[in-house]
Amino acid sequence: MISDETLATILRSIYVSGTATLLASVWSLPTSYVLTLKRRVGIVEAVIESLVGIPTVLLGLLLYILLSSSGPLAPLGIKLLYTPQAIILGESILVTPLMISTSYRVLKNSVVMYGELALSLGASKTQVMTLIVKESLPGVVASIIMSFSRALGELGIAMMVGGNISGYTRVMTTAIALGVARGEFEEAIALGLVLMAIMVVISVTLKLINKVYGID
Amino acid sequence: MTSIELRGVWYRYVGSNDWVLKNVSLTIEPKEVVVITGHNGSGKTTLLKIASLIYRPTKGEVLVGGKEFWSLTEDEKLVIRRKVVYVHEKPILLRDTVLGNVAYGLRVRGLSNDELLRRCKEVLEELGIWGLKDVNAYKLSVGQAQLVAIARALTLNPEVLLLDEPYAHLDMKKKEVLTKVLSRRSVEGMTLVIATHQKIDSTELRITKTVTLENGEVVNIYNYK
Repeated sequence: MISDETLATILRSIYVSGTATLLASVWSLPTSYVLTLKRRVGIVEAVIESLVGIPTVLLGLLLYILLSSSGPLAPLGIKLLYTPQAIILGESILVTPLMISTSYRVLKNSVVMYGELALSLGASKTQVMTLIVKESLPGVVASIIMSFSRALGELGIAMMVGGNISGYTRVMTTAIALGVARGEFEEAIALGLVLMAIMVVISVTLKLINKVYGID
Repeated sequence: MTSIELRGVWYRYVGSNDWVLKNVSLTIEPKEVVVITGHNGSGKTTLLKIASLIYRPTKGEVLVGGKEFWSLTEDEKLVIRRKVVYVHEKPILLRDTVLGNVAYGLRVRGLSNDELLRRCKEVLEELGIWGLKDVNAYKLSVGQAQLVAIARALTLNPEVLLLDEPYAHLDMKKKEVLTKVLSRRSVEGMTLVIATHQKIDSTELRITKTVTLENGEVVNIYNYK
């Protein structure tokens, strides 16, 4: 059976990663759309794609320096270190390149295909944009789900800026790491299985979206 | 009625140094049936997309009814675009039923549902695919999809209809049906521009002009009149 604390950790993980993903989508999706309208974005595309694989510990370290009491944000009174908000911020930055990169590919295809189609059928600029968004929605949703999966499975940021505080900033990945360090494998395995189950559900959902809507 | 004139048009895709179209000049008069021929890669599709007012030429002018299209305001462009309709070679369908797809162009024009249904039914019956109206467009064969894309254009009753390889995926029976429908529209006054590398029955369709493209250049214009 899963203890109350473990259940709370699972729910916190979903909340933190979900919020981070939603936050990232606020700036990532419009950025992707704007990029599709620009003509020469090869370099930007390459930079974003290279950032997809950024090590989470590196990002965690940078955020730690930024948010620490002697960091550049301290004089502004921003005290986020070792809070769930710090993890949310870190994970949202982490998934931004992935979300931009994957949604950009979907939107780029849609802009070319459906943009041309709508124009050729006499749609106004607003109607063209509406059609592009509508037709690329399944792909964009897939991109958001993929980003959530990346946020949920990361450890470096949650550990470094969250601090793994029990009942406050502890999430599944940090709880698993702590369990292994302490030799408490039972809880670590239980959490590992839950994490894997969530990943499997995400993967199946993505495959279903791809199959139903015929996304490449 | 709308005439389209391409004057000294050059075109190259972004990021490419190769010209797809080189100094193309061509006039499409109202009620004409123009066939554009040429091998794959000769520039037929690009030419059609420029004449359809989708692509802006890299150099040169596109005059519609005597006015340079790309210098017009967005509102003026929209009015003209609604008279000129292009059908892609590879049919692009929306995530919707056949009826939803065919109705799209009418919806953006703000037609009532009754009028929309009446016009869709008329065209779908004409093409013999009314029975497919409730089918998910993604489940169609390529030939059916092509007819749906053509039906979507025909419901708009444009002044100029540009079709890119409309016969490419059709069997003999469907080709005959399509030729009859296009012929009827032509008699009613619709201007037709058809890019193809297949032979077209010039008697049935009453072709007025054949334009031959080679490596992005017009090498021959043959007027039937």
